[in-house]
Amino acid sequence: MRERVRMHLSDVVAPLEADVLFAGSAYEEDDITTVVVSDLMSDVLVIEDTDFLLVSSLASEQVIRTADIVGALGVLLVNGKNPPQNMLSLAESLDQSLLRTRYSSFHACRILARLLFPDHEVKS
Amino acid sequence: MKRQSVIPLSTDDAPPVVVEMVYQMKIKDVMTTEVITAKQHDTLRSVQQLMRARSITGVPIVEGRRLIGIVSVDDILNALDKGYIEDEIEAHMSRNVMVLEEDMPLSFAIQYYEKYSYGRFPVLDRNRELSGIITSRDIIVALLIKLDEEFEKLEQQIGKQPLEFQGTLRQQFATRRYDFEHAGRSSTQIKKILKERKIDSKTVRRAAVAAYELEMNQVLHSNGGTISLQLSRGAITILADDVGPGIANVDNALEEGFSTATDWIRSLGFGAGMGLPNARRVSDEFTIHSSPQGTHVMVIIYLKDDQLKEDQGEDTGTGNAT
Repeated sequence: MRERVRMHLSDVVAPLEADVLFAGSAYEEDDITTVVVSDLMSDVLVIEDTDFLLVSSLASEQVIRTADIVGALGVLLVNGKNPPQNMLSLAESLDQSLLRTRYSSFHACRILARLLFPDHEVKS
Repeated sequence: MKRQSVIPLSTDDAPPVVVEMVYQMKIKDVMTTEVITAKQHDTLRSVQQLMRARSITGVPIVEGRRLIGIVSVDDILNALDKGYIEDEIEAHMSRNVMVLEEDMPLSFAIQYYEKYSYGRFPVLDRNRELSGIITSRDIIVALLIKLDEEFEKLEQQIGKQPLEFQGTLRQQFATRRYDFEHAGRSSTQIKKILKERKIDSKTVRRAAVAAYELEMNQVLHSNGGTISLQLSRGAITILADDVGPGIANVDNALEEGFSTATDWIRSLGFGAGMGLPNARRVSDEFTIHSSPQGTHVMVIIYLKDDQLKEDQGEDTGTGNAT
């Protein structure tokens, strides 16, 4: 696999046509190491990576808590999900960036893959 | 010998929190305001029917909003016994009624129950008009609600003040069944405490993951319990103790992918059957005991010597003196 391109959360906003619901301190600072896509927080808790962007269509407080516990960089809500107010407030208090795109998981991931690994070729 | 009061609560030598509670709560916060009343020219029979229909044992008699007497179930029994049940109330009601005022503290009502054997007390407002009625049931319900609030406050206070002695830190957090809104707070706190102690981020992450898995398990599968953190020189210990109903088969629960979660739990993003296996994965030591009385899990994560940096300084200076 080729080198990953250094990219911040702020760099993926325009390509994803995302709304920035909350920009935490990592938003323009830290590199996205990888992307984790799951609606099952139990599965996210098993992952050993840190500093990843968590892509989920689950709009609940637990997504933010999970992201915080595992040290994710931020959360991208797909399918234009509207986060409940308590999810927004928790993102702020735990300093977790929260983005939202109207794209589906698949489409959002395609965009993210192109951005992060522009030279990567899919092998069958 | 001390007389057994209806409400077994001493307003004098109870713990200060309780004394404060019964003095701060006002009768008007506790009483029932929709009072079922009768008029003096109604018959005792109509009061008897009212009592049966509404399951009550005392009916204040009013003229407008002014209280002029009360008819209790004893009065009705007497009337049935002596054959004047069809009489008007006026001649037979008790006129000397013990009343409370709505601005009095709740302690007055409790003292009334100690002094008098009545089942209920009418409550008057500032204009001496009937504004409510108070029963021991009202008091018990109000006290339980208030106790719940007070305990919550106390628990939060305890959460804010870590108990620290001889380099060991202990902190305990409560969890409640299906309290999904607060689920994860303890783990977030635990993570914060460990981070503040400058423990390396990988170790903090392992402890936080273990705490979070155990906390979610308590919220989703138990009747509630506690998550405790103990931090000593050598290790982080996380204890999860709940009050039941226990895990039917612990070996199954430790198997990856085994789950008893409902669709509702899954819709919240949990219940993949990874909780306990994942908590064990991040631990150096992992023990679990489960019975219908409760499940107890202990996770220990070792700290290398340089991981826990003393920020108090009092132990480091003298530790090598011997």
